[in-house]
Amino acid sequence: MLRDHVSRRVFLQTAGAVAALGALPAVGRAQAKEVKLGYILPMTGPLAFEAQLSLNGLQLAVDDVNAAGGIKSLGGAKLALLPGDTQQKVELGNSEAARLIDQGVSALIGPFSSLVAYSVRQVTEKNRTPFMLLAAVADNLTEGGLHYVFRVQPNGKAMSTLTMNNMFEMAKTAGVAIKRVAMMHEDGNFGTTMGNHVESFAAKLGYALVQRIPYNLKSPDFTAELSKVKAAKPDLLVISGYYGDSKIIAETAAKLRIGVHALVGLANAAYSNPKFIADNRELTDNLFDGNYWHNPQSARAKAVFDAYQKRFNATLTSHGVQAYTVIGVLRDALERAASGDRDKLRDAIARTNLADHILPQDAIKFDDTGENANASPALLQVQNGKPVVVGPARFAEGKPVFPVPKWHG
Amino acid sequence: MTGDLLLQAAVSGFLLGGVYGLVAGGLSLIFGVLRIINFAHGAVMMLAMYATYWLFTLLGVDPYLSILITGPAFFAFGMLVQRIVIEPNRFAAEHNQLLLTLGLALFLENLALVLWQGDFRTVRPAYAAASFVLADALVEVPRLIACAGAVVMALALFAFLRHTDVGKAIRALSEEPEGAMLMGIDVRRIRAVAFGIGAACVAVAGALVAPFFYVAPDVGESFNIVAFVVVVLGGMGNFVGALAGGFIVGLAESLGATLLPGSLKQLVVFALFVLVLLFRPAGLFGGGHGR
Amino acid sequence: MAADGGAGLVLALLVVVPPFLPPYFLEILISMMLFGYLGAAWNILGGYAGQFSFGHAAYFGIGAYTSTLLFLRLGITPWLGMVAGGALAAAFGLFAGYLSFRYGLRGPYFSLVTLAFAEMLRVVAVNSKAVGASLGLVIPTRTPAPGDFVFAGKLPYYYVILAMAVGAVWITRRLETSKLGYSLRAIRENEDAAEAAGVDALGMKLRAMALSSFLTALGGTFYAQYFAYIDPTITFGPAVSIQGMLQAIVGGAGTALGPLLGSFVLTPISELSRAAIRGRAGVDVMLYGLVLMLVISFLPHGLMGALPRRPRRPQP
Repeated sequence: MLRDHVSRRVFLQTAGAVAALGALPAVGRAQAKEVKLGYILPMTGPLAFEAQLSLNGLQLAVDDVNAAGGIKSLGGAKLALLPGDTQQKVELGNSEAARLIDQGVSALIGPFSSLVAYSVRQVTEKNRTPFMLLAAVADNLTEGGLHYVFRVQPNGKAMSTLTMNNMFEMAKTAGVAIKRVAMMHEDGNFGTTMGNHVESFAAKLGYALVQRIPYNLKSPDFTAELSKVKAAKPDLLVISGYYGDSKIIAETAAKLRIGVHALVGLANAAYSNPKFIADNRELTDNLFDGNYWHNPQSARAKAVFDAYQKRFNATLTSHGVQAYTVIGVLRDALERAASGDRDKLRDAIARTNLADHILPQDAIKFDDTGENANASPALLQVQNGKPVVVGPARFAEGKPVFPVPKWHG
Repeated sequence: MTGDLLLQAAVSGFLLGGVYGLVAGGLSLIFGVLRIINFAHGAVMMLAMYATYWLFTLLGVDPYLSILITGPAFFAFGMLVQRIVIEPNRFAAEHNQLLLTLGLALFLENLALVLWQGDFRTVRPAYAAASFVLADALVEVPRLIACAGAVVMALALFAFLRHTDVGKAIRALSEEPEGAMLMGIDVRRIRAVAFGIGAACVAVAGALVAPFFYVAPDVGESFNIVAFVVVVLGGMGNFVGALAGGFIVGLAESLGATLLPGSLKQLVVFALFVLVLLFRPAGLFGGGHGR
Repeated sequence: MAADGGAGLVLALLVVVPPFLPPYFLEILISMMLFGYLGAAWNILGGYAGQFSFGHAAYFGIGAYTSTLLFLRLGITPWLGMVAGGALAAAFGLFAGYLSFRYGLRGPYFSLVTLAFAEMLRVVAVNSKAVGASLGLVIPTRTPAPGDFVFAGKLPYYYVILAMAVGAVWITRRLETSKLGYSLRAIRENEDAAEAAGVDALGMKLRAMALSSFLTALGGTFYAQYFAYIDPTITFGPAVSIQGMLQAIVGGAGTALGPLLGSFVLTPISELSRAAIRGRAGVDVMLYGLVLMLVISFLPHGLMGALPRRPRRPQP
């Protein structure tokens, strides 16, 4: 019958097409291939805003990599970002990590909060999944002989010691002695870590810590605490805090005429934050901050900034810079590993020697514990409403104003 | 030297205490009439601070002037919330009512997070940087205005409670619930009004605080627990007691910060709380509702 | 009762199925059992004695810190440390309870004072270098040692918390039909009348407090061993208090199975809403709050109250 004839022809054509597809499985699979990267961040809760900034950086980086052709050694495989929300809770961090690992991620990124990180790193270690720490500041996260934990950003110790170093270098150039240091820090994990380091390095760096005040970051008033600081007559006041508390401290310190040469943030969430500066122009003038930053001399960094501005209609912050860099490290490692296999990827990450990045440091290399051996914070000062890198010298884009007149009585 | 520190602490603590008193006053009123501890108090304050922020940023309305808008608006909001969420559950077990307001707090705080994200916002009018020195102690102008504003608001409310019919009805319902009903007071309406006034108090407090504080979804937490302490100190339902209690807590907290190391000032507040609860649960000034 | 049969079946599933679950689900299950357990412990004081503690985190924290410090500083196995922690927590509970009950604190006043105690412990811990302050205590990853409450995979931890949860339910059941249980019920309904009828209200409430705080502390040790990290906020913060309380209330305070039922329902709701509305920070907790308000409004006796029950013999 005519119908049979036609249908048989159609059938044969279809069968032929199917057979043709079946004959080239490798090409087909390679074209569909992607490398999954999972992130776990506190998308809900008090750190939601910062978490979003990190996510923006991750997104931008992943899209940049994919637009440039993906992972070439894997046939142009694209990167895919799989989301996870920890709500800053440990049990959620664990379950999200477990879920993402189940879904086949080659690496996990996050989790922002150090306390979540302590637990998640055991999940990733057990599942042999590379865990790229993001924002978690606690030093001992890389301790304990773990093989799968890596941290690109400076850890607490590097952040505090190098920042204090940078301040002292700057003071020396200005011919001003810093002998007495006071520190206020929020009483949580972040602040206490910084406080401990500033205290333990006092003797080595040659200063006396004349006042150390942990404070409750929710408090609406720090006048009493700052009066104690003023009474101790410090040369420098160092502040490790979050946005709101840092604002109130800067405000009250100025009005009290606290008498220091400078107010220095240490990984402070506010003092080099462009939005904070824009909202509080006169308050933020000449504040220092030792913080994660990008390399202002790098043309590539400028390109990333422009791209971020265009896409998110906001200035790239250090959260975004760190996130962007983590993807850069992963991309580089994936290229060298030529595989999405977790163990191979881990080994490739461990052998990283990446100079093409936008951080204010030499090449990114990891030591045996997984820390970025050359990690370096930048020393920034707010000048004319912008955070300007004033140290280390080779990355500086401007000269510091030090001592700062307005803090004096 | 310590004398200077103590004086400074006393001044700044006292100023903050005025605001604590106003926040607690609203909470105290709500407790007096509705017999519930409103966990969502801080969340409503946070919403009012956002309203203050938007009025300031988008329309240039001065935060203090914006009270003329936010005060009545949040009064209405409070009445609405009471009608929809609290009133239907008025016969529920006490603990359930507590959890109801807790659920409300979670809902409102995260609603703010969803709508406006977690980034911090600042309300910074020109006079925010103003300050002067009084007998060696720093007085920050926005904080002084906040304290003064709080006291004025509290006194105005006190007059309202004393001299208006609605105010008397509120007091009647607060002190003698059964008697009030027998006297023909529209109990349902008064309950809604009381909650509305509580919300308005906290909205005014929010506007007063905005110029020296910041605005974020979790900003209410800085005042929520302290408000409970102040309410107990002042006597649950004792409106003026709450104001006095606010000053006491503000002072105690600030002195604690001066005399104790670390962040132990919070301990002073809680210790005070426990002591009052145990030994004078009717509040330092009596007039509260006992155990 | 129908509920019992159902519970038996669920228990069987809980024992048999988990080895076949992917790690993600096992994680969730462990969290579920832990919160259900904490709810059951809270329930003894809250649901049965009618004393709503908002500060059970105090006992959780005491348990966690005691066993961890004994383990880290003196090498004492957490199995023993657990008991020590429980005893210490019970002692603190008796202290706090005695002060509160002796001075006649009831209802919301009691709730607030318990909240204050927990917060005070938290602030003290934050300011104590001896317990690590805010840096907390880390239990270093080491080779599995069951004798030290350190296991290789998740499964053993799961069975431990399952056993604890079942144990808590069993204890609650025994409580229901004991003299203490009847006394507590009388106190819960009307404390003054109960006292007039000869019930030693103070003594009975303190017993309930001691049991409740002891059990809660054991949960703290479990948490420390499982997550291998504790700090003042995790252990003494209000989140733990609220979580425990919620499971019991949503499930049905004053019933033996309520807390676990509550946990079985609340945890998936939280998980699902997070999974469904990913990327929009805060929506899930917002929904959680809404669900809480709805449950309180429409199911005031919790979920157990909504289940069909065979008529029981009248209450004494």
